Amino acid sequence: MTNSETMQAEAAEAEAKRQTDKPPDPYAEVRRNATGGKPREASAISLRGVQKHFPGGVVALEHIDLEIEAGEFFTLLGPSGCGKTTLLRILAGLEDATGGAVAVGGQDILRTPAHRRSVNTVFQSYALFPHLNVRDNIGFGLRMRGVDRDECQRRVDETAKFIKISDLIDRDVAQLSGGQKQRVALARALINEPDLLLLDEPLSALDAGLRSQLQVELSQTQQRLGMTFVFVTHDQQEAMVMSDRIAVMNDGRIQQVGPPEDIYERPANLFVARFMGHTNLFPVERTGDGSLDTPLGSLTGCGDCIGSHVLIRPETIELLPPEEAGDNRFRARILDRLYRGAFAEYQLECGDTRIAAIVSNRGQRQYDPGEHVALTVDSSGLVFLDE
Amino acid sequence: MSSLLAKRKSASGPGHWGQTTHLLGTIAPGILWIVFFLVLPSFYLMSIAFMSNGPYGLPELPLTLQSFRELAGFGFLGWSPGNLYTLARSVWQTLIATVLVILIAYPLAYYISTQPASRRPLMLLIVVVPSWTNQVIRAFGWMNIMSPDAPLSDLAASAGLISSEMGLFPSNFAVVLGLVYNFLPFMVLPLYASFERLDGEIVQAAHDLYARPINVFRHSILPQTLPGLMAGTVLVSIPAFGMYVIPELLGGGKSMMVGNLVASQFAEASNWPLGAAAALIMILATLGGLMVLRRLGQRLGGGKEVVL
Amino acid sequence: MKRANFRRGLRAWWYIVLFFLYAPLAIVVLFSFNSTRTYSTFQGFSLEWYFKLFANETIVSAIYNSLTLAIVSSILATVLGAVLGYGMFRYRHLKLGWLIWFIYLPLVMPDIVYGISQMTFFVQIHEATGLLKPGLLTMIIAHISFQIPFVALLVYSRLLQLDPLLFEATQDLYATPWQRAWYFIIPTLQAALISAFFLSFTLSIDDFVISFFTAGPESTTLPIFIWSAIKKGITPEINAISTLMIGAVFTAAAISYAIQRARLASNPSRK
Repeated sequence: MTNSETMQAEAAEAEAKRQTDKPPDPYAEVRRNATGGKPREASAISLRGVQKHFPGGVVALEHIDLEIEAGEFFTLLGPSGCGKTTLLRILAGLEDATGGAVAVGGQDILRTPAHRRSVNTVFQSYALFPHLNVRDNIGFGLRMRGVDRDECQRRVDETAKFIKISDLIDRDVAQLSGGQKQRVALARALINEPDLLLLDEPLSALDAGLRSQLQVELSQTQQRLGMTFVFVTHDQQEAMVMSDRIAVMNDGRIQQVGPPEDIYERPANLFVARFMGHTNLFPVERTGDGSLDTPLGSLTGCGDCIGSHVLIRPETIELLPPEEAGDNRFRARILDRLYRGAFAEYQLECGDTRIAAIVSNRGQRQYDPGEHVALTVDSSGLVFLDE
Repeated sequence: MSSLLAKRKSASGPGHWGQTTHLLGTIAPGILWIVFFLVLPSFYLMSIAFMSNGPYGLPELPLTLQSFRELAGFGFLGWSPGNLYTLARSVWQTLIATVLVILIAYPLAYYISTQPASRRPLMLLIVVVPSWTNQVIRAFGWMNIMSPDAPLSDLAASAGLISSEMGLFPSNFAVVLGLVYNFLPFMVLPLYASFERLDGEIVQAAHDLYARPINVFRHSILPQTLPGLMAGTVLVSIPAFGMYVIPELLGGGKSMMVGNLVASQFAEASNWPLGAAAALIMILATLGGLMVLRRLGQRLGGGKEVVL
Repeated sequence: MKRANFRRGLRAWWYIVLFFLYAPLAIVVLFSFNSTRTYSTFQGFSLEWYFKLFANETIVSAIYNSLTLAIVSSILATVLGAVLGYGMFRYRHLKLGWLIWFIYLPLVMPDIVYGISQMTFFVQIHEATGLLKPGLLTMIIAHISFQIPFVALLVYSRLLQLDPLLFEATQDLYATPWQRAWYFIIPTLQAALISAFFLSFTLSIDDFVISFFTAGPESTTLPIFIWSAIKKGITPEINAISTLMIGAVFTAAAISYAIQRARLASNPSRK
């Protein structure tokens, strides 16, 4: 061995050492494990004018425009029959759109049949193949694409480890519990490293405790993989906990798109507000002097607000002793108080109108049912809405 | 405009042509087979019923209703009720056999359903296996038992029911016995299925409400087993009515059923149109019977879904 | 007390019915070993009739014909019926209800009408074209026609029990239509297909009437042979052949029961 060769080898060794010493990307390993060694870029999804008309004049989707960013956890939220599942099925290729365009990573996929799309789905019922065990279920997609048996085996083991179901790998599908099935279905979809992962209410069949645990697991998985997830649910709590952004849908239309805070704090219309669980919604009428007439009384300090209804979020309300009257303060009677630990939820009656308020239990005076208070509305926190 | 365009595109898009071929590829072979080898022959047979009888028993034109007249008994020698008797006998024997099968099968199915679950499959198998042997062999077994010198015939003779040199067959009795034997499992299986699903709580409630067991039976057990009973009745009576082998082997000329009438016109008597007319009546009677049973099932509130 | 009597009565009834069900078969088996030709008494044990049986070439060829008929028709009917059942399932939204009537037709039609319509049809076709000479081929065709509906309905009802999302899951997981058939539909239907085949086989072996009317002079099957032998007069040889067939059926039943038992024991979750 010559001197220069030795030096080169030493240099290479030092370089390798330097690289391993470099603080590692904490998720590189898991990402590599889950995706069979080739980390890949996530894909953005763009929907333009997507529509679905069923024969007989039923409109399931009316001109849907959506931009879903690469690596985003995106949720389609809405009541049943709003078109969210139809939209998901169009993305999966299980349903044909009657118009519009869908691009994944810049490429139009609407004409691509489902089995050639790099899109995988976690189905509501999980749809695990009953004739295969867990291992063969997870490896199904790879086998269909002609990955050889050994490679398939290796990647199934890695993915199972990543999803923490290694101990289930040789079980029969019939022997799994609901939560285990959900994990297997997730592994079966993830192993294919799709450009886009679709989840159709995958947690709706589980009981509450398991459900919130899996909500956390699922969003952590998504963050670690950096994969684009589109999640469908009718549960606004679930949507808010898990999503980067939410699209609220109703009657085949998108009502509002935005991060959970926007959707909750600044609903775009009455439907979104009601769907997000808001009850303090009151019709407003503008009077001649610039103030607003509501069932509570007259509101001032919001001259340029437009809308037929006002939303007073319960956490923006302050309860003061009844003698402290003033602007935007209304005399109300406590009907009920629910102790919720960190905060208390009040039901109040103001004239004939019911209103809810949420007050922190820290450093605030507590009122009992029957007492009167001055209900204080913060005019900067009001949201004005239209139908 | 753009939506129109999109619609056209999707209608002619990939997969549309493929879907039609797929539809035809899956449905067509079986259906064509059945149409060509089953529906077509049936229609041909029915059309024979309206043709004239040629010199060698084969059908000829012109079209005529002669066969139906003959079937009703109007021959060269004036009217004779033989064929009508045969038809009536078929209905009558089917009825008796069905009632007997119900009476035998009902307690049996109940008994099986009260046994430990692990033993029930074997018991059902024991009931069903004899019917897997060929029906000719089963009828032959009864011929052995009821032949003139066999113990059963001797017993009947000593009781004075038959004369000693005669066997128990051929006779109407033998035909009904053969039918009951043949179709018993067809009643036991659906009845057992009903008993297995029987809601014990309703029976218990009925026990509390009614003192007499007969009322418990009428108001709680019978209604719950009605679907099985109706299904069994269809499975027994429809094929029993069309039975050919049993009357042929266990009955003589005086115990003929419609099936034998049909067959004899195509074999010995060689009058295809007459045989076809009888076959047509048979099909109509079968469909009519099905309709009646279906109605009955709906009226009694039991199993719409089980009666076809 | 009353209840105990009721139970005892039911149990007695069970044994009486068993006797009724098995007596005719037992008589046939018993007398096949009788050393004389009488039916009234059992004179002594002998295998005489069995030796005569296997010396008879007609009977050997009848056994061969019966098996060929049953196996060939069952295989073809299972394939045709399964494809039809799948098509009915796949396109059930297309309002193909009227097709079901075609399928019910052979189930409702009396054997005798069925057999005769086949016979008249085949005779006419043969006279017109020279094809479809009555024989094993026409029998196979006729058997397939009545087996298809049973297979199709069996497969159809099994498919209806499946989660429809499973079909979409195969597409979602990159299976082409052929891969879906091979890796999902056929394995999932395996049990249904096997039982469809055995059902077809039993139907074929059990059938006499349809075979009788579509058979040719060369294609005598065992039931037809037994039938014509009975028509000529009861002989002990008939007992012997019948005993062979009874033995075959009971062996098959015992095997299928044992398999079922074993499967249940090895995998309790599947049932």
